[in-house]
Amino acid sequence: MNAQFGNYRESDWFGPLLITIGAIIIVGWMKPSFLSSFNIQILLLAISVNALIAFSQMMIIAIGQMNLSVGAIGGMAAIAFAGMMEVWHIHWTLAAFLALCIGLVAGITNGILVAWTGISAFVITLATLSVYKGINLGITEAQPFYNIPDTVKSLGNDTFFGPLPWMILPTIVVAFGLWYLLRRLPLGRFILAVGGNSHAAELSGISVTRTVIAAHAISGLLAALAGVMLVGRLQLGQPSIGDDWLILSFAAPVIGGAVLTGGKVSVASTLLGVVIVVIINQVLVLFNIDPYLVQVVLGALILWAVGMNRWREVRTGKNEQRVSA
Amino acid sequence: MSEFVFEAKGLCKSFPGVMALQDVNMKLSAGSIHALLGENGAGKSTLIKIVTGIHKHDAGDVFVDGAQLELHGPRDAISKGIGVVHQERNLIPRFSISENMFLEQLSSHPLRSIDFEILHLKARYWLDMLELDSDPKTPVQKLSVAKMQLVEIAKALSLNSHILFLDEPTASLTPHETKNLFSILRRLRDDGVCMIFVSHKLEEVQEICDQVTVLRDGKNACESRSMLGLDRQDIVRLMIGRSEQIPIWEARDRTNTKPVLELNKASTSIGHRDVNLTVHKGEIVGLYGLVGAGRTELAKSILGKYLVVSGEVLVNGKVATINSVADAVGKYKIGYVSEDRKSEGLVLMHSILENVGMTVWQRLSKGVAFLTNRAIRSQTVPFINKLEVKSPSLEQHVGNLSGGNQQKVSVAKWLAAGVNILIIDEPSVGIDIKTKAYLHELIRELSDEGTAILLITSDMPEMITLADRIVVMNDYLVMGELPNTRDYTEMSEGIMQLIHDAEETAESFVQVTS
Amino acid sequence: MNNSLEATTNEVDASSYGEKEKLGSRLSMRIFLTNEFGLLALIVVFVIIFTILQPGFISKYSLFALGRTAAVNIIIGFSMMVVIITGGLNLAVGSIGVCAAMFSGWLMQSIGVPWPIALLGGLAMGAGLGALDGIVIVRSGLHSFIITLASMSIFFGIMIFLTHAGSYREIAPEVIAPGRMRLFGYVSPLLLITFVVAGLLSILFRYTATGRQMLAAGASPETAELSGVRVNRMTILCHALSGVLAGIAGLMLVSRTGAAIPSMAGQLGQDWLLPAFLGPVLGGTLLTGGRASVLGTLLGALLVTTLTTGLLLLQIGAFWLQTYLGLLLLVAVLMDRVRRSYLARKKLV
Repeated sequence: MNAQFGNYRESDWFGPLLITIGAIIIVGWMKPSFLSSFNIQILLLAISVNALIAFSQMMIIAIGQMNLSVGAIGGMAAIAFAGMMEVWHIHWTLAAFLALCIGLVAGITNGILVAWTGISAFVITLATLSVYKGINLGITEAQPFYNIPDTVKSLGNDTFFGPLPWMILPTIVVAFGLWYLLRRLPLGRFILAVGGNSHAAELSGISVTRTVIAAHAISGLLAALAGVMLVGRLQLGQPSIGDDWLILSFAAPVIGGAVLTGGKVSVASTLLGVVIVVIINQVLVLFNIDPYLVQVVLGALILWAVGMNRWREVRTGKNEQRVSA
Repeated sequence: MSEFVFEAKGLCKSFPGVMALQDVNMKLSAGSIHALLGENGAGKSTLIKIVTGIHKHDAGDVFVDGAQLELHGPRDAISKGIGVVHQERNLIPRFSISENMFLEQLSSHPLRSIDFEILHLKARYWLDMLELDSDPKTPVQKLSVAKMQLVEIAKALSLNSHILFLDEPTASLTPHETKNLFSILRRLRDDGVCMIFVSHKLEEVQEICDQVTVLRDGKNACESRSMLGLDRQDIVRLMIGRSEQIPIWEARDRTNTKPVLELNKASTSIGHRDVNLTVHKGEIVGLYGLVGAGRTELAKSILGKYLVVSGEVLVNGKVATINSVADAVGKYKIGYVSEDRKSEGLVLMHSILENVGMTVWQRLSKGVAFLTNRAIRSQTVPFINKLEVKSPSLEQHVGNLSGGNQQKVSVAKWLAAGVNILIIDEPSVGIDIKTKAYLHELIRELSDEGTAILLITSDMPEMITLADRIVVMNDYLVMGELPNTRDYTEMSEGIMQLIHDAEETAESFVQVTS
Repeated sequence: MNNSLEATTNEVDASSYGEKEKLGSRLSMRIFLTNEFGLLALIVVFVIIFTILQPGFISKYSLFALGRTAAVNIIIGFSMMVVIITGGLNLAVGSIGVCAAMFSGWLMQSIGVPWPIALLGGLAMGAGLGALDGIVIVRSGLHSFIITLASMSIFFGIMIFLTHAGSYREIAPEVIAPGRMRLFGYVSPLLLITFVVAGLLSILFRYTATGRQMLAAGASPETAELSGVRVNRMTILCHALSGVLAGIAGLMLVSRTGAAIPSMAGQLGQDWLLPAFLGPVLGGTLLTGGRASVLGTLLGALLVTTLTTGLLLLQIGAFWLQTYLGLLLLVAVLMDRVRRSYLARKKLV
């Protein structure tokens, strides 16, 4: 059991955990309202949605690729969700389910295109991002859907116990599910294997094609879930949902120690990465710092995190042998 | 019930324009270590790919344990008991040993939980068999290359491979690790496994193999015969059709000309210590050593890719400040023909003209505004022609040329650059005999014209043919230096002695500390 | 014979995937197989189709507007192309372009600098930001994707912060004029500027050591370095050049709209990403680096602009435009993959 955890310092979640705890303590000390029940609720609401966005990208980083269409899929699912309820008067549970299916299909499409054509995921998802976004705009003609059922609005904002909002529940389930997938289920290990060394994975009988498609499918599903949940939170179906997801979707996994070449991601650390980002966001607002600086901070965070990961890889690489891929 | 675990009869395989295998036979017996030899292009890798299920043969039969069958792919071959340990490592770096070993058998269903404890136990069994004491939970990237290789062997065995192909298994191993590997292979042989040992190192083949099949030009030069009674010359004769010829250049001494390149107590950032080396004008200095000796790394340090941290490097008697390869090439006219021509010597997607011109662009564009193809051609074509590069046009992508022609292009580049010091690293790897002889003539000619040449090669006959002096390296240190008398036996013994002494010192050190 | 073919296609790699090996009678056949010819043919075909469906397509104003839009898209394509050569990506093209434009606007409006200096200042800003990206990429050894992903938001964020998201509308008339002028009724001066830039880029990659070294460094950095090419310097130069080109595109937009607006390239400049890739990819620039086709990128961007203009004119869902472009990119990369494997197979046989 101990051997599996290894050295605390070496594990991915230790650093982010320290930073998170440190940030909470410092900010809480400087502005006590930060730790108020209401504020914690706000933070958790933001974390719930952002975590799914981050997980969506994380699954693709795991196979060593990138998914630029995370935001577009999320937006498309959000619009589908809101639109189905408003225009076709479908019950919200069914609408949510269908929206998730749309996300799943979009993800599978990405996966099939990447796996079958051998063209870089960057270009494929850049293209599909435009297609999905275009569908979004085409359906809505840039007008939001306003008629969101009260149940949905409530689920999107209210709490069920103390400061814990309903929205945190799907996220916790997803987080646990992904952790279990990547740790103990063959599919998850195959995903990490393909990311670690796709050639070796193939030689061992793993179907790289199917694994890639599966990863993209999960990614699409998670993005769609984020979009649906955001509709509840925002209380309308905005066509602009997803436009600003790109940076965040990379920042959190990378802060959590993910390696962009694939094969190394951590659910717990990504989650901590999301927490850090959300706290920073709030801090900027609390201290009346220009909200546009958020972008700068995110960008700087990414640089710092990637640099740190790289430094760590290089340092451990000096002590160990290289594995040629 | 056939006595052979594996039989290939009359295998034929052709690719567009090339007949890779013609009527090739091979019989493998249980409990033997079978050498598969042949020059590059002889058909070895095609044969291996057919036997391991990657290619389908056009004609002929394959028998495994007496039963004729068709192999439908690598997975099929594995299921029939045929395993391969490739030259490059094929492991997932962050996965544990156990997981790497049992990757395909993780679970019957993609969504059923994995029991890691059982995997670790199973792995332990196989690791013990190979006397590998690493903890099965260790991530593979923390292991040495030699141990990784053993993991791959364990993996193949765990898949019930009783026919095991080992492709250049000692390429990245130290002599100590090689010894360890050989003792394991012998034990496996005694347990009944049949191993096919593919290697260019004839000394090792003679040490450990009991049977041999040699391919030449796609056909059997010899077929599954016993190694008894075969000496090195016999094997070479089978591989290339004639005895190795040591050309009859006489010994010469160029140490009285001025020194063009000198290293005085040079230590590098990658581990060389107190290296002393001198190359005189018109001299060919050979740098010999085993894999891991640090010769290529020394060459790259001279070239500026790695830093010289103490001591000095002198060019033409003056201290040279080389902070980058561009300095070495541009200011000091040093050139380097890389051992890895595909990724370091050539730009495969560019044309011959673009490749050869790479070293002259900077020089040609001084002052004149436009760098025209015509100007480039005038500086490069003479050398392309001199090297007799065979190609329909200069615009041909270098990636489409044969190995020999590719090597010629990579050399032409430096001739066009007009270097005074040329470091040549493993010039004949993967080159046909004719081009190899041609390159030897060329190297000799270059030195006669005044170029100082530092030659790195693991090919002993090549070294003795060409070098005026031979410097022996081991473990990033210079062990000693010998003037070349051109007497093969005398020279090879002298060199081996120097390395042997170094190895003995290293081994006794290892014994003390382990 | 060889020379005339090279002159016509203006291609920089001196061998169109090995087709130019055989001279003589096969020459004319070979032209038809080149990517550039295909693009030209497609442009002609679509112009004809659109004209049939909507005769106003080839009206003087319509063509003028098309050319003017194409001018900017082509430069954006060039901006990405020079980074693709290094085997990398520049996600910050839009961000840098907007920063350069805003800097120029600020110089003109808040500082009162004469317009030529302001323009040069904008270009310098573009070069500087690009060079900064290049330096970080080289020093850190990290992939340009993640660096430019980060820098795109950093540059944009700082710019917005400094300008408080305001626009600069007091632009010198000399700067606005080229965006409005119509030469002979058809041609925008911006298009002429684009042609000049295209010409300069061709010269760079063909007739200068630096350009050739950029291509070699991008194709095989290890080989280039061991041959004496300063690979790191080339990478930085490529990114700086990309920044300058992005700046040119940004300034062209200022000229056309008469103002420097922060949202001219969308949030974080990401609106430019699609056109930035479409041009080079359609034009045959390999994403793996080492090859560039200036003419191809130009024709590619022109084709895209023709399509979008035509579809808009036919009033086929302005909102669906982005979808079409995404599909176009998909089809383009797929076709290119098919074409390449076809050519590769033919060569072996």
